[in-house]
Amino acid sequence: MSSLSLPIQTDRLVLRTFERSDIDGLSAYHALPSVQRYVFSRTRDASEVASALGIMRGHVSLQRPGDTLTLAMVCKGEKVLVGHVSLHWSDATAGQGEVRFCINPAYAGQGFTREALSALYDLAFDHFHIHRVFARCDGRNHHSIKLMQQMGMRLEAHYREHALFQGEWDEELHFAILDREWQRWTKVKDLPVRHRVA
Amino acid sequence: MSLYPVYPLRTERLTLRPFTRGDVDAVYAYRRREDVTRYLFDTALSREECALAVQQRIGQLALEAEGDKIILGVELDDNGALIGEVSLIWRSVEARQGEVGWIFDPNYHGHGYATEAANALLDLAFGPGAIHRVAARCDVRNEPSWRLMERLGMRREAHFREHALFKSQWDEEFIYAILWQEWQALRGEQTPT
Repeated sequence: MSSLSLPIQTDRLVLRTFERSDIDGLSAYHALPSVQRYVFSRTRDASEVASALGIMRGHVSLQRPGDTLTLAMVCKGEKVLVGHVSLHWSDATAGQGEVRFCINPAYAGQGFTREALSALYDLAFDHFHIHRVFARCDGRNHHSIKLMQQMGMRLEAHYREHALFQGEWDEELHFAILDREWQRWTKVKDLPVRHRVA
Repeated sequence: MSLYPVYPLRTERLTLRPFTRGDVDAVYAYRRREDVTRYLFDTALSREECALAVQQRIGQLALEAEGDKIILGVELDDNGALIGEVSLIWRSVEARQGEVGWIFDPNYHGHGYATEAANALLDLAFGPGAIHRVAARCDVRNEPSWRLMERLGMRREAHFREHALFKSQWDEEFIYAILWQEWQALRGEQTPT
């Protein structure tokens, strides 16, 4: 495995690890009630956002199972932090990775998360040789559900009342995609017109 | 809430009771078979391993803390034979989650015994156990097992593909579940008051 080369450039974003100076950009969205509604870790005030940033600054690579890589999504033009995506290496022998994502609602709906996730999936499958990437979301979180479908992921689980989440019965969806599915998916999209048979 | 059932539990044709040291041979008769262990985490067991398994099961009779298991031997009333086992695991105390499982001697398949025993276990979990949701899982290729889950009124909640390794191969797994209110509705239909 070659060494990880960061930052990653996509069409409109720079994906890089978090820095101390991101505190204002992160505070702008991470503690918002609409963001907190469906996230696992609680970051509701300045000190909780600061400790979350501290943790995410340590998410710089996947060296061993249990590690997480978290990348800040920085918009190329305005140089503004619009959200973040992460890849967690949950199982080494079976090559499993979990992705999570979070976007500032002010920048939602423009495909930024999708763009960042595409780059993250390339990294997961091509660089880290992960076999299966999965993502979980709340059953009511229709933005995430739509995004997972756009990413070509398959709905593998729909748990009902299997746990308590923020004081309520939880309804949770699992989406997943295998390496061979992602590679075929991206190849089909990139195929130049002249190579098409019919 | 802890659960200390009074044994044995009786159904129409079966007795669900704690394991005893005399069960080793009956357990060995089916746990030695490759077709029985194919979809279990264990491989085929030797007689010594069966003795150990029975020894462990003798103490697994109550739910006191998260992760505790109740494992009961299933005895056929007709001939007194031990034909398999059913288990109930307390997965989460806070969210009142349980998981059921079963292993049956293939010589006694096809008579609805597993369905009868598993239904008694669901009644134990949802009734005195005050569990909110009971789940069960099996390999996708283990059709008799997931057919049984469907007969119990469980819904397929998950179909995981290549999410883990199982016996050196990619695993494909079903998870089924039933909620307290669904169990209640089923039992209400069967015994109208």
